[in-house]
Amino acid sequence: MNVLFAIGTGLMFGIGVYQVLRRDQIKQAMGFYTLFTAVNLFLLAVGAFDGQVPAYTDQVEAGGSPADPLVQALILTAVVISFGSFSVLLGLVNVSSRRYETIDSDEMDGLKG
Amino acid sequence: MDNLLILLPIFGPLAGGIISLLLARFVRVQGAVAMIAAIIAWVASLLALWSNWLDPSAPLVYELGAWAAPFGIVLVVDLFSGLFGVMCSTVMTAGVLYALGCHDKAVNTPAFMPLFLAIYTGLLGTMYSGDLFTIFVFLELMVLASISLVGISDHRLGVEAAIKYLFISGLGTLFLLLGIGSMYASFGTLNLADIAQSLAVEGRPLLAQQAGLVLMSAFLLKSAVFPFHFWQPDFHTTAPTPVHAVLSSVVVKVGVYGIIRLTTLLFTEEAGAIQDLLLVLGIVGIFFGGLGALRTYDGKRMLAYSTFGQIGFILVGIGWGTPLALLGAIVYAFNHAFIKSAMLMLMGAISSNTVAKKAEYTEIEGVGKKIGALAGVIYILGGLSLAGVPPLNGFISKLALVQGGIDAQGWWAVGLVVGGGILTLLYMMRTWQHIFQKDKPDHIKLKEQGDNLLAPALLVAACVVLGLYATPLLDVASATVEQIGNPEIYIIAVLGG
Repeated sequence: MNVLFAIGTGLMFGIGVYQVLRRDQIKQAMGFYTLFTAVNLFLLAVGAFDGQVPAYTDQVEAGGSPADPLVQALILTAVVISFGSFSVLLGLVNVSSRRYETIDSDEMDGLKG
Repeated sequence: MDNLLILLPIFGPLAGGIISLLLARFVRVQGAVAMIAAIIAWVASLLALWSNWLDPSAPLVYELGAWAAPFGIVLVVDLFSGLFGVMCSTVMTAGVLYALGCHDKAVNTPAFMPLFLAIYTGLLGTMYSGDLFTIFVFLELMVLASISLVGISDHRLGVEAAIKYLFISGLGTLFLLLGIGSMYASFGTLNLADIAQSLAVEGRPLLAQQAGLVLMSAFLLKSAVFPFHFWQPDFHTTAPTPVHAVLSSVVVKVGVYGIIRLTTLLFTEEAGAIQDLLLVLGIVGIFFGGLGALRTYDGKRMLAYSTFGQIGFILVGIGWGTPLALLGAIVYAFNHAFIKSAMLMLMGAISSNTVAKKAEYTEIEGVGKKIGALAGVIYILGGLSLAGVPPLNGFISKLALVQGGIDAQGWWAVGLVVGGGILTLLYMMRTWQHIFQKDKPDHIKLKEQGDNLLAPALLVAACVVLGLYATPLLDVASATVEQIGNPEIYIIAVLGG
């Protein structure tokens, strides 16, 4: 399972970096979110497969060690925060596309020099 | 009582922000609420430092929700985080005071005060939390609030700078999350004291080494150290004045705080290698920042580059690594926050006296002559203090730093630090000539009234007092160095015997 997650994390990281480096700002924003999802996958792989039964289950007699609930709490917080950053980013792209009349990041060079 | 001292600096501004959000229709009332919340948090952070100072062997610890230490979230105030907390809360309170007398359009929108208090909460929370993930949460609160504030700035390029910084800080956040995940995979805990103990007992698995590197890069990125610096002048220059003042003085110190924590609490064995790196990065920063400040043609941008150089001085102090040099770095960080915020507020106030409200030298040339003597006095005191001229507090910090360098036998670096200090004097004098000595050309239109100068005047007064009467700060700083030199105190306080 961990190999699958390693491949998945690497793939999403690659897609994210590629998208962030594109010129279109909407695609950049999507790449930004993909990068966060890759890190969330990594966090999930850290502790999700240590146990055999869910944490806080009613079926105590099921046996086996329970899965680690903390990483999932971490991911939940990280998802909320990355979603917040993503929406702020989209809002900024919206304003900037009107103010500078472009969404091409190469043409947005007011801060040069 | 002790619990209140830990909680109020974090949750006071948070509550103030929520209340002022509810009062969005009444901007004046919002300001009053923000001021009260800021002062309450300031007093509480001072008292927290004071109660630590009385008993340095027992840092204050608060367990949120009464969950015991390695499992729940803890807030810890030892002398180090207490001292940095006082630095942050003082400058943030002065920032709120400046915002009350500021005529910028962005500062008078209903969204300003809640976001500004969110930066306050994020700063104090980052300093006080004893848990890696909580540090991440508060750091993100601070970053998102400051990005939104730069986005609504009066400066036309504010949105572009905000997008730029959002991507860069997003990279830092990714690093931080990767580091958190790797730490958790190695030791199954995120509590700083618990990680320190595990590192001492279990040695260093490969993942923990990688976590250390990644966390280090995240903190270097937050304080805009040399290879990660390129966003800083743009992002800081376009911010509204009160936000610029806190960004360039205390928000960059979060990275410094993280670096000192990493080298003194967690990775004490690898500290030597990290310090060699920091020494080189600091020297590069001093000269890059100093020369950048010399060649720029914008008052605010000059001060942003100057911050880059001053962070270099602090890193050199950490890089020498002896207790005396660390004392120099901490004193330097504390004093620099006061000087730099005062100078930035002054620069913003000067440019607010013109109709164009820009800080380029061509737009504020000779304006200083027209707006009264107080601005000139603040500029002279602050500028000389930044350059390290006695008897101001900048001199105390340079003296402490150079003493640390001599103690550490780092002769070539001492020479470079003293030489880099001269650059500071040069760029401050150049700006003085542009603003206060040239005659005002006709194309600059003055306004009736600029921003209130009360906040920078108070901060500069604090600089003078800290310069003439430096003993208390040096005493607290040396007790701090003694305390963080002995990580056992922190670990026992959090985890118990």
